[in-house]
Amino acid sequence: MLPDTVHKLPREERFAYARLLAFMARIDNELTVDEMAMFEQRLGTALLSPSQRESIRDALKNPPSLEECLEDLSGEAGRLALRDAVMMAAADGTVDEDEREALEDISEHLGLQENAVEQLLNWTVKGYRWMKEGYELLDSFEE
Amino acid sequence: MFPDGLIHRSPQERVRYAEILVFIAAADGELVREEIAMIEAMMGRAMIHPESRITVRGGFEQPIPLEQSLADLDPVFAQLVLRDAALVAAVDGDYDRKELTALRKIAKAADVTPKQLSLLLDWVTKGWHWFEEASVFLAK
Repeated sequence: MLPDTVHKLPREERFAYARLLAFMARIDNELTVDEMAMFEQRLGTALLSPSQRESIRDALKNPPSLEECLEDLSGEAGRLALRDAVMMAAADGTVDEDEREALEDISEHLGLQENAVEQLLNWTVKGYRWMKEGYELLDSFEE
Repeated sequence: MFPDGLIHRSPQERVRYAEILVFIAAADGELVREEIAMIEAMMGRAMIHPESRITVRGGFEQPIPLEQSLADLDPVFAQLVLRDAALVAAVDGDYDRKELTALRKIAKAADVTPKQLSLLLDWVTKGWHWFEEASVFLAK
């Protein structure tokens, strides 16, 4: 991942951030390899302690409710969690209705602009394009 | 960064990938928190086994020599490594001389010319700008 600020958050906020991502990962009761890779990546960025990682793995098996996740989430940790929740939701190529609804609920809880989720989805699409450009660049090296 | 073909590579290749990233991160001296977070993210994205991650972390203190990790590396895989090594090298804001030397060595193993490496570094810069956009509109 590119230079990020998740690792700069206080420890408890990083935990709350990761917990929300665990919720998002299990929202449709399916966990694709791409979603798992994205989840693992974000977990790595959060630099959690071994015991926190253990709790997050438990949360992946028995996901908390969205309300429980949001209780501990506000400010910068919340905004970063929403950003990464959008990326995770889009990791398998589509954002289904349940995912979209949860993203809007998170945004509302954080008091963000009405179109924040839409903006983040557009931003994610741009990111995918950037990644694709990277592949195309590598492919062009072989020609 | 989004998931990609890396997860379909063999466990041994993915560990070698991570070892090279550690070398790059450590090239300009002691690893800082940003670099460790980036390495952990890359290991997560590559879905490296937790026990293998412990082995890779051992390299934080004493990285495996680059030449050793690059030996017999499939050039196509080396290109993926080069791409992510460039991202890791850029994480602290600039490319240090030692980082650039290491990137050139990886580029050579990947059959990538200096001009092509330069294009790849431009692509990294573009990604930085993209990533920063989210912080800007989320701060509003």
